[in-house]
Amino acid sequence: MPDQCKEPVTTAGGNAIESVLVGEELTLSYPGSTEPAVDCTRLDIPEGAVTAMVGPNGSGKSTLLKALARHLEPDEGTVLLNGEHIQSFDQSELARRMGVLSQENDAPGSLTVGELAYHGRYPHRSFFERASEDDHTAVNHALELAGVDHLRDTPMSQLSGGQKQLAWIAMVLAQETDVLLLDEPTTFLDMHHQLRVLETICQLNEREGVTVAVILHDIAQATRFADYLVALRDGQLYDWGPPADVVTEQLLADVFGVAATIERDPEILVRPSHALPADRT
Amino acid sequence: MASSQSVATTTNRERQGWITGHLLLFCLGCTVVTAIAGIVQVSRGVFSMSLLEAWTAVFDTDVLLSQEVWNAFLLGGDLPELSRESLVVWKLRLPRVFVAIIAGATLAVSGAIFQAVTRNELASPFVLGVSSGAGFAVLASLVLFSGLAPYLPLIAALGGTVAFLVVYAIAWHGGTSPVRLVLAGVIVNMIFYSLQQGLFSIAGDLSIVQSAIQWTTGSLTNTGWEEVRMALLPAIVVLVLALFGAQQLNVLVLGERTAKSLGMRVERTRFLLSGVAIVAASVAIAVAGIVSFFGLVVPHIVRNVVGSDYRHVIVGCLFAGPALMVAADAGARLALGVQVPVGVVTGVVGGPYFLYLMRRERTMGEL
Repeated sequence: MPDQCKEPVTTAGGNAIESVLVGEELTLSYPGSTEPAVDCTRLDIPEGAVTAMVGPNGSGKSTLLKALARHLEPDEGTVLLNGEHIQSFDQSELARRMGVLSQENDAPGSLTVGELAYHGRYPHRSFFERASEDDHTAVNHALELAGVDHLRDTPMSQLSGGQKQLAWIAMVLAQETDVLLLDEPTTFLDMHHQLRVLETICQLNEREGVTVAVILHDIAQATRFADYLVALRDGQLYDWGPPADVVTEQLLADVFGVAATIERDPEILVRPSHALPADRT
Repeated sequence: MASSQSVATTTNRERQGWITGHLLLFCLGCTVVTAIAGIVQVSRGVFSMSLLEAWTAVFDTDVLLSQEVWNAFLLGGDLPELSRESLVVWKLRLPRVFVAIIAGATLAVSGAIFQAVTRNELASPFVLGVSSGAGFAVLASLVLFSGLAPYLPLIAALGGTVAFLVVYAIAWHGGTSPVRLVLAGVIVNMIFYSLQQGLFSIAGDLSIVQSAIQWTTGSLTNTGWEEVRMALLPAIVVLVLALFGAQQLNVLVLGERTAKSLGMRVERTRFLLSGVAIVAASVAIAVAGIVSFFGLVVPHIVRNVVGSDYRHVIVGCLFAGPALMVAADAGARLALGVQVPVGVVTGVVGGPYFLYLMRRERTMGEL
């Protein structure tokens, strides 16, 4: 059942859920290449929920997220943020509404965690303005939420990979946006920090109602933490919906090339058994 | 309650803003170096005087408080009667120090901006071709159209901009890597160097060639109030702009995507700041010629001392640039007894220092 681009979402009761971000008829390609990398009829990021984008390497997750973040201009189609065309936003207006964390980030080594977090206030400040009380409050809150308050004065060069990622997350949190897009925030982190990043995201979503779209590598994690899954394969939307509906043995075979058993007891548990041969299609 | 809580945490570094104790001390030290080197420079020459005499002449109230004298220096009016020492110091020797201060500050700031804008620690006005482009433009106007002398900073900026754009065009491949940028710079530098050599051969007048050679190595010899008048205003403008741009530089070094996500119009900001850096370098080149390694090394020294916050780096460069330029100019004269072009000194000292930096920071250039 490939490319099941669904109609606008409804809850079990049949009520429509508002989507903060909508991609319509998107065709995306990398700069300098004419081959479309992603082709998607409709993509919804529902308001106040955590949506995880999953798929194998090269399936177009990152490209799709870049288009949602306006880092990549679609060849065709539109992205709507709160119903408005994303291109119509002023750059700093957009940054006040949507925080984006790219996959790879690099800060000067002597920059402290606190200083990095203050950069998150950039879109809220005008050219000459000094940090206001609002800025201080936002930064303190962000550092606390990301659990890096104690590292505030530590330079980035002295942090582990996981701590660095949390510091970057503190920066986007300080941006105080209603929407957050995160590109593989847990990749390359140890288990402890992977969970801390995911817990931070969930807390943010539960406590403050922030809408999150996050690319995750690990389908088991995505199943556990996300309200909705978007599964991508070869630049196409394979399936979309709550994990309970989306995660099936068929999906794992089709999208990830893995034979696995799914247990529902009542939480969904993915047990991968072995890789399927590459030429199975 | 909230405000008392924030007072309690104001010790955090990020709250200290523009000035830190460390930076203040550094700037103070640089000012002292500038003053000492300046006095040494001023006391030297055919009409020799002791340091004390030089000091007295520098602080001659007949000069300092006379509107007429300043009018003569800054606007080019007639100079009133002065004591012999004051005349020698103020008319002939101090302008050289002032030119060194201006060139030092602008070159250092230019290098700092380029390093942030390209996110490349190897970037400098020289590496990016700006120096040789500006140098060629100035040289061409000296040799071919000698009437354009008052517009030299403008001409230099034009040449620098063209060279910079060419370097960027060569290096651009969906973004630039440090190595590509440096290689493109080498190519463009070679081309402009050849063009400069070509100009020598068509210049009929040997004295022009001689002054041109001196100028391409970067020299402060024979600089006077005319150069100060020419460079002062544009220098002040670009340095103020650089200070205003410092916060933007801080966001730019986080990377293009992050800067964009934070709401910066990256292309526009980068373009404007590059413009500031090009004009800054051009001001220095128009009055002092091509002083090699300066724009590359000074920002590194400053960063090593004051950290990587660009507000501090720019302020630091404003003080360290003049200190090192005046010291290099005076030092060569003091050590060797003869006038050596300052560009030779900075090349000989700056090159090895940069090698040392590269060895110490193995990751440099792999950003």
